[in-house]
Amino acid sequence: MKPLRSFALLTLLTLPACGLAYQSTNEPLDAVAIKELVPGRTTAREVVEKLGGPNEVVQLGRRTAYRYDASATKSAVLFLLLFNLGNQDTRQDRLWVFFDENDVLSHYGTTYGMHRVQYAMPWEDVHEPEDNASYDADRPGVGK
Amino acid sequence: MTRAALLTGLLGLLATGCVTGRYGQVTINEPVDGAQLQALKPGEDTLASCLDALGAPVRVFEYRVAPDRTSGMALLWSWNQDRGWGVRASMSLRGASVSFDYGSQNLDLPGCVLWFGPDLVLERWREGRVGDLLPERVRPAPALD
Repeated sequence: MKPLRSFALLTLLTLPACGLAYQSTNEPLDAVAIKELVPGRTTAREVVEKLGGPNEVVQLGRRTAYRYDASATKSAVLFLLLFNLGNQDTRQDRLWVFFDENDVLSHYGTTYGMHRVQYAMPWEDVHEPEDNASYDADRPGVGK
Repeated sequence: MTRAALLTGLLGLLATGCVTGRYGQVTINEPVDGAQLQALKPGEDTLASCLDALGAPVRVFEYRVAPDRTSGMALLWSWNQDRGWGVRASMSLRGASVSFDYGSQNLDLPGCVLWFGPDLVLERWREGRVGDLLPERVRPAPALD
């Protein structure tokens, strides 16, 4: 093979590259500790002692709601010379706790997603129920 | 110009990344289960049953505050699952850097909002783009009156 042709082929082979990145904000929520919250009995003070300071406090008339959250992002990029393929998947753990006017817990709602975040290519479905179930099984307090 | 020189020149031009195309997917959170959303019954479902069905919302808003400070609330769920093409061109023009970027991906997220009255019973719900679902932003109340 001629040197120039070899150089061109080598260039073509080495230019494609891939990149992976992981970013997270806050610690994942403790699903086991959250299950210990009892509407009608747990107070706002006890929630803060157990879970720490909330990310947001919302006034709802005489009621209040606290938001706790954490998020994770996985990014995968394939650089192909003139054309790039990329996927970015972001999931959150979220907890909203609602208190009555006496600061007693009335309701709470949870969503756990951080552990389901995936590296993928853009044509892939990252929300398949089977994948979610297998990820949930490995997280204490989340799997059934 | 020989074919080899042409190829080398072309490779050099491409390697500078003047023009690049892309195909990408951005996913944020997981979509609310449509079947569970459709199954919600205004006047019957409560805040507790809706939180059980849909999980924790992304945002919570005060809604219909009465003079005695009782109020309802509105809960927003939003997510994103968007695939799209894009192209970026950049070049140096008389010492200045110039670039152009086009993407087909949508910037307004899909979502749903549930409105609850002061008794925390579901009044209504709506699906759509978050920008259409939420009222225009108003200046928040001062921390101290």
